[in-house]
Amino acid sequence: MQPFNIRPDQLAQEMGDYSRKLGKGVQNLMNAGEIDAGVTPRVAIHHEDKLTLYRYEAPSDVVQNRTPLLIVYALVNRPYMTDIQEDRSTIRNLLAHGQDVYLIDWGYPDDADLALTLDDYINGYIDRCVDVICKRHNLDKINVLGICQGGSFSLCYTAMHQDKVKNLVTMVTPVDFQTPDNMLSTWVRHIDVDQLVDTMGNIPGEMLNWTFLSLKPFALTGQKYLGMVDVLEDEGKLKNFLRMEKWIFDSPDQAGETFRQFIKDFYQKNGFVQGGIQIGERSVDLKNITCPVLNVFAEQDHLVPPNASKALNGLTNSRDYTELSFSGGHIGIYVSGKAQKQVTPAISDWLDKQTD
Amino acid sequence: MTESPFWNDDWMAVQQKYWRNWNEMSRKAMGLEPPKSPWENAMDHWWQALAPSAPNSSREFVEKMMQQGKLFFQMGDQFSRNMTEGKDWQDALNQTLEKMQNAFAAGAEQSAGAAESGFNQMMAFWQNPMNSWRKLAGNLPLNHDMANMPNLFEQILNAPGLGYTRETEERYKQLMQAGLHYQKAFAAYTHFFSDLGTASAQRMKDKVTGLKEQGGAIDSARKLYDLWVAACEEVYAEHTMTAEYAKIHGELVNALMAFKKVWNELLDYRLGLLNMPTQREIRTLQCRLQESRRELRNLSGDVDRLKEQIAELAKQPTATPPAAETTAAPKPRKASTSRRKAASKPTSADPS
Repeated sequence: MQPFNIRPDQLAQEMGDYSRKLGKGVQNLMNAGEIDAGVTPRVAIHHEDKLTLYRYEAPSDVVQNRTPLLIVYALVNRPYMTDIQEDRSTIRNLLAHGQDVYLIDWGYPDDADLALTLDDYINGYIDRCVDVICKRHNLDKINVLGICQGGSFSLCYTAMHQDKVKNLVTMVTPVDFQTPDNMLSTWVRHIDVDQLVDTMGNIPGEMLNWTFLSLKPFALTGQKYLGMVDVLEDEGKLKNFLRMEKWIFDSPDQAGETFRQFIKDFYQKNGFVQGGIQIGERSVDLKNITCPVLNVFAEQDHLVPPNASKALNGLTNSRDYTELSFSGGHIGIYVSGKAQKQVTPAISDWLDKQTD
Repeated sequence: MTESPFWNDDWMAVQQKYWRNWNEMSRKAMGLEPPKSPWENAMDHWWQALAPSAPNSSREFVEKMMQQGKLFFQMGDQFSRNMTEGKDWQDALNQTLEKMQNAFAAGAEQSAGAAESGFNQMMAFWQNPMNSWRKLAGNLPLNHDMANMPNLFEQILNAPGLGYTRETEERYKQLMQAGLHYQKAFAAYTHFFSDLGTASAQRMKDKVTGLKEQGGAIDSARKLYDLWVAACEEVYAEHTMTAEYAKIHGELVNALMAFKKVWNELLDYRLGLLNMPTQREIRTLQCRLQESRRELRNLSGDVDRLKEQIAELAKQPTATPPAAETTAAPKPRKASTSRRKAASKPTSADPS
């Protein structure tokens, strides 16, 4: 038998099915209206510049962990990824498992924020949010969960303020930025970041989108829209697709000075591994981290390869270091049904165990 | 028969009839090329009628879906025609892939939009990285197709400026030099991708052979399309992870930024002449302002801490003085002074 078995009548049928799905589903697309994102009720408890600190409302029938959990999201993209829809919400799941969840929403930096540095973000914004939460709960320290770049920030923060962090969870967090399979790291190797930031000021979200789409240009700019036709007729699935699409392209600009330091010290100099990261007046030494650490990574992560995250093992002085591997990708670890069953409950169990 | 205001089955019936006829012709081995498919035209007409009433966001999605639909259907069409029964599949595959490679070579010499045939469409896939970059850099006054400027032009630009307008002249020459440098960097970037289409056709062949060895078969246009995407992604990932690409990519970004930097400087120069705020001035103000805010926040934090410490001290019960000392002189003032000292001490020791 030859490996090609596409008969003209089959092709006609396939083409007909495709056209029919597109034609009939387009009504759903046109009626989709505004795409909502972020589904769990929350209250803003602290504002500062463009930052908002939210506390999520926990179900009344769940016993809460006494130590609140602060989620530190990346500056890239928006944090509603963690609460994208009711049945796929990391936050909702954490609440259901008894965590008292807070989240920092960085907002959309504009030109007035160009001079914000990593020091402003980490020793400024994050530290003040931690203080606000500690004060509300009359505690000295809280649990911190950092996501992706927010995980790198959380590592820096914990290394500089270990006395305020009880337990640290890092999710899909780059630590070794120069593993051989790290495409982004390869691409920024020869970029003159000083010239880039001096010229552009803030780094436009569109530029980041271009970079991320360039990681898999054929799948991300073409193939996925074929897949979209398959979900057009199902209003629910279509909304899910559109929510993801909105999130992918909802990319805030990056404050220029922060971008400059992050790319130079973390990507180009691989500072967590090689040392030499200086945030404001403080040096970052991961050996200062002594609290329990849970490091969660995704096995098929094309943005932060597993080895980039696993490099954390041995770099801290934590006596309680645990890894959790998830069979999925960088986004799937938040939005897939499997992640809701495997990842979030495991994080919550780990936090409860540390707190008891 | 119309089933919804968005869809009409009539034209579907027409072009299914066309396929039935072509199938019939194939079986009779008439060896005739089928007429051009009306499917694409019908879809285009349908969408042209519907598009004006569609919101912008939906319009973009439908256009992407139609574009990809056309592509995957054309792929199936082309492969299906070449892989006719009775023909050795390997010969047919080689011929098909050869056509793809030829199409890529031809497409590389044309602009992306010029590719029309099914094979050209498949190979136009490889215009994606360049098109994305063009879109990103598109708001700059650059002509990406001016890759090879004559050397003479560069030599002229290297000549020093003279006279009263020397400085202005120098600025414009810097801009043109940066533009030329950028065009060279873009040409190198385009050249890097020029062989990858051919490599992806070879990878496609390997994948088809592998599939055959495992007893599998491609039985739908979608499966064929997915295999092609997988082949392209593999080749792309392998080549863009190399040191060579890192250098070319870095050079492209750097060259664009260098051009934009000179452009901004010229703009600032002109704005300055008009007594208008320049980007440079605004940057300086932004940095100074942020520095002031940082200092203000630190001071404000210090004040808050002091207030808390004072409040804590105020809550502490005043020590009952021994009876013998109650008559001693000015106690309240002394106590107040010592409280102030106690309050300020930890803060002054606080490194923050």
